[in-house]
Amino acid sequence: MGLREVLTPFTVWKHVFDEPVTIKNPIGRPAADRYRGFHQNDMASCIGCGTCEAICQNAAIDMVPVDGIETRTGDSGLRPQIDYGRCCWCALCVDVCMTGSLTMSNEYTWVDTDPDAFRFVPGLEEPWKDDEEGYEREGKRVLSGIERIHMEEMPPETRISNFEEIVDGYSRAEAILEADRCVECGLCVATCPAHMSIPDYIAAVRDQDYDRGLEILYETNPFSEVCGRVCTHKCETSCAALHEGDPIAIRWLKRHIVDEVPFDRRLELIGKPAAPTGRKVAIIGAGPAGLTAAFDLARAGHGVVVFEALSHAGGMMRYGIPEYRLPYEALDRDIGVIEAMGVEIRTNCRVGRDVTMDALRRDYDSVILAIGLNMGRSTRVPGTEGPGVEKAVDLLRRITDGEEVPVPERLVVIGGGNVAMDIARSMARLQMQKYGRVGVTLTALEDIDHFLADREEIVESREEGVQIFDARGPQEVVRDESGAVTGLRTWRVKSIFDADGRFAPAYDEGDEQIHEGTMVIEAIGQMADTSLLEEALTEALEWNRGRIRIDGAFRTSEPWLFAAGDAVKGPDVINAVADGHRVARTVMDELAAREVMQ
Amino acid sequence: MEMRHLHALLKQRHSLGQLEPKGGKLAFVTVPRENLRGLLTELRDVHGFTHLVLLTAVDWMEDGLFQLTYMLNNRGRDMTLGIRVMLDRQEAQGDSIHDLWPTAATYQRELKEMFGIDFPGSPRIDEEFILEGWTDLPPYRRDFDSLAYSQQTYAERPGRVTHDPREYMKSKLYPDGV
Amino acid sequence: MFNFKPDRTQYPAADADGKLEIDLETGKYLKLWQGPNHPGITGNMSVELTVCGDEVVEGKTHVGYLHRGFEKLMERRTFIQVFPIVCRVCVPEPDFNEYCYAAAVEDLAGIEVPEYATWMRTLILEMGRFNSYMMFLGGIGGALGLGITGQWMTYVRDLMLDRFEELTGARIYHMFILPGGVRGHLPEGFEARMEEVLSTAERYLDDIDKVMFSNSVFKTRTKGVGVIDPKLFEPYGVTGPNARAGGVAKDLRKDSPYLVYDQLDFEVATATDSDIFARATVRRGDVQTSIDLIRQILRKMPKDGPAMARIPNVLHWKIPRGETYIKGECSRGEYGYYLVTDGTGYPRRINVRGPSYTHAMALLEHLIPGTNISDVAALMVSLHTYPPEIER
Repeated sequence: MGLREVLTPFTVWKHVFDEPVTIKNPIGRPAADRYRGFHQNDMASCIGCGTCEAICQNAAIDMVPVDGIETRTGDSGLRPQIDYGRCCWCALCVDVCMTGSLTMSNEYTWVDTDPDAFRFVPGLEEPWKDDEEGYEREGKRVLSGIERIHMEEMPPETRISNFEEIVDGYSRAEAILEADRCVECGLCVATCPAHMSIPDYIAAVRDQDYDRGLEILYETNPFSEVCGRVCTHKCETSCAALHEGDPIAIRWLKRHIVDEVPFDRRLELIGKPAAPTGRKVAIIGAGPAGLTAAFDLARAGHGVVVFEALSHAGGMMRYGIPEYRLPYEALDRDIGVIEAMGVEIRTNCRVGRDVTMDALRRDYDSVILAIGLNMGRSTRVPGTEGPGVEKAVDLLRRITDGEEVPVPERLVVIGGGNVAMDIARSMARLQMQKYGRVGVTLTALEDIDHFLADREEIVESREEGVQIFDARGPQEVVRDESGAVTGLRTWRVKSIFDADGRFAPAYDEGDEQIHEGTMVIEAIGQMADTSLLEEALTEALEWNRGRIRIDGAFRTSEPWLFAAGDAVKGPDVINAVADGHRVARTVMDELAAREVMQ
Repeated sequence: MEMRHLHALLKQRHSLGQLEPKGGKLAFVTVPRENLRGLLTELRDVHGFTHLVLLTAVDWMEDGLFQLTYMLNNRGRDMTLGIRVMLDRQEAQGDSIHDLWPTAATYQRELKEMFGIDFPGSPRIDEEFILEGWTDLPPYRRDFDSLAYSQQTYAERPGRVTHDPREYMKSKLYPDGV
Repeated sequence: MFNFKPDRTQYPAADADGKLEIDLETGKYLKLWQGPNHPGITGNMSVELTVCGDEVVEGKTHVGYLHRGFEKLMERRTFIQVFPIVCRVCVPEPDFNEYCYAAAVEDLAGIEVPEYATWMRTLILEMGRFNSYMMFLGGIGGALGLGITGQWMTYVRDLMLDRFEELTGARIYHMFILPGGVRGHLPEGFEARMEEVLSTAERYLDDIDKVMFSNSVFKTRTKGVGVIDPKLFEPYGVTGPNARAGGVAKDLRKDSPYLVYDQLDFEVATATDSDIFARATVRRGDVQTSIDLIRQILRKMPKDGPAMARIPNVLHWKIPRGETYIKGECSRGEYGYYLVTDGTGYPRRINVRGPSYTHAMALLEHLIPGTNISDVAALMVSLHTYPPEIER
């Protein structure tokens, strides 16, 4: 040990006059820009999906109602409340947030004597709620999948010459990946008219438990194979995943479950109906509403007979929706399960012609009217009377029945809904088969962004060569001297509704076009054919703007008669299914009530 | 490759299970309890696996088994071998290796306390290690419910309530289910 | 010069369990509890000393003061929910938990981490190592009554915490290394601010050299004290700097390179004497290595690129049955996570292997007899042990 070792330590005395490095008042020291401090939540973009609550490993988050936030489609109306006695500031809630509304401030110094002050809903009144600084995740969410798993489809050039199904359906591997993206928030359930247990059947796909999946589907929808293909899937418009990516392909996953369960297994899983009750219910119309009601009633042990005027059951599902979207075998399987419940379907049996309403009233305990909308409406513009002008629903029905329909080289469709797309694309296929090319023009009042048709219908129509002219109002079906149709004259639409919201299209008369074609097909809506009711009953029933008036439980003003489906509500298969369930429940309640009375 | 070679070599003298490689540097293998000591000694003294990385247990309650994992490392050749011994969960008893690695006594003491696996002869095996006055099930066993324990032991501060978005929407938008 | 040779023959011999039969009634012996609240104890643990005069006859370590049952808690959490709690196993160097856990999950789930993230992880781990050594250098001085080192090193550590804060969003529990990658990129101008911290650190370390390593008092009290015979390294599972101070260059960064260590140039510090002083100098050397590595990483790492791999939806992430062991060289030796999965969404078992488990238990108990009471603190700190790793 030398002297040096004794003296060297003293050299650090040089620091004795250094400025102290301590921070005198740490309260108020700004934290770094990325600091994970108290939360912030953009109330307007939060949808209350509760994913933050689900991921929180400390159970620090509760979903609570907040004044001024309404529950509506795609927003539960709940907002996260955070208990900072539990929060560990990991920010997984921020990373998992489906909308990006939840972030963090860099505020971390806060003293309060009231412990409850540290339990609050971020985004309401904290002083830092609008601060820029604080933790935000980099880019979009990475803790759940953003992009939808691609669905294979037949390419336009292949599919245009036939009526084969376009969509391939997911393979198991694809379905698992797509199902994996779902965060099980359940916001979609409220949007679905039938309130299908969407997160639960998606979970069944993830678990590869198709039996369970199918049973879940059948709890709410006996037309899952149909809906898995053609549902308007409004659920997907309230999916939490759409805020930073693609919504979950709910419809395709539903289809996938049904595709994976063989028909015989399906029958096994659905099981046998309850013991016969001795009650009998007549249902008029074998569409989705009537058959759903039939399924529910039969399953509960009631005797059900469905009367169908056409040669096959299915209603618009068969006669309205083209085969390339919904193959008949798919529909037949759904109907097959319903028949296996003991439902008797009498086809080619038109009420009013082959059997009277009076007879039904006499022979059955209750009668459900589910006749749908099968008569096409007309624009009634000049020239619509006479040959060469067709109604879309009539043509679709004839194509389904295998009848020969006139196929001109060029034709014009009026309408911007799904039926218009269906007939345009069906005729395009027939033209392809006959002439080797497509000559379909489609005009509609709405501009393209406001078409009632599904987006993919518009996209696929265009891919198949349908020319779409949006915001065109039909003025006249143009005919030559011989009376043959040569085209459709249209004006540009300036507005569709007047200031009071009434339908009153206004046109720019200077912008006129003649769309050439030797056939004009009207696809602007349908109405119910209520002639079967006959005069006395028509008189006796209460009506509401041309529709039979029903109450919230689908009772008409006649105690034995109920009505459901498109004829009274609409507008699509899944709504009809929901109606079917509801009317069946009402009928069963009524039957039970009568049982008690007797 | 080296690992497979070693496995083949050891297999001539010890009753070894299949080699389960995890990449090139790590592998797992199961041995019957009676073969453990011989295997460990050979690995340590002949094959350079001188470093006892860890000794711990996995509770396969559903199968009625405890798995003991002895992780050994050969630093020079950068190889780690996880040796598994399966024990009957009902008579949870292993063989002490504190004489091979003195530090194993600590691991064994912890296993006795946390899993209830006994290692007769291991120094201070019955002394409390982490817990004090514990009378419940050994807490790292799968059938010890730590959530229930914490609910019984600690009080929640009242005043919290949460709502399931799906059920809440139902109550608001379609209370009667349709 | 003042080498003290204890006369062990005056004490009773140990039994098979290593216990001494001590009769406190004789008045010859005294029980002395060092800890759990004691400035010379690293964290919450205690050493039960049996002393005769100021000579320690026997030492028993006691843990359990901060058992939180992490390994059990992890079994009740989904794979993503484990992420926020792993770092809490170790306050001074939490990032190793994050790295080992993430890498174990990635290994069993078959996830390839993007290159940027592996560089970032290496950077974070070196920053963490630096901080851990700051606590060591402060602590070893403190254990010997040299308070100033603790103050300086705490300040320098604080500067590094500032860098952690701006990079990760937190000072202590960074929660930055997610299974699949890391949570973000370097902030603007980070390199320059880091360089400022590193050069400040180097200035302070210079002073540490003067005030501590060249200090005759420090040398006298640490040289030849607390010697670990290198023959004990393997039986007692000694790894890291404690082994390197005894001439065995154990360093997983070299022995079993992980992350990007095979792309970095560095030498591991070693010493030969295996005493307290040697262990301190090895760590002093290691700090410099970390400083150099941080500079090197910032120079070499990619400027951009994805920070996260694509991972499954974490809300229902299931991992097939399997087991793995992921290790790395933390500031105290071999740190590792043994992860067992059973095909569900929850880990079947996670075992945290911290170097203190062997260093602060069996090894410490072996080293204590024969020391002086006043040396126990320095001896314990010199092993650089963190009790939370023991009881987890």
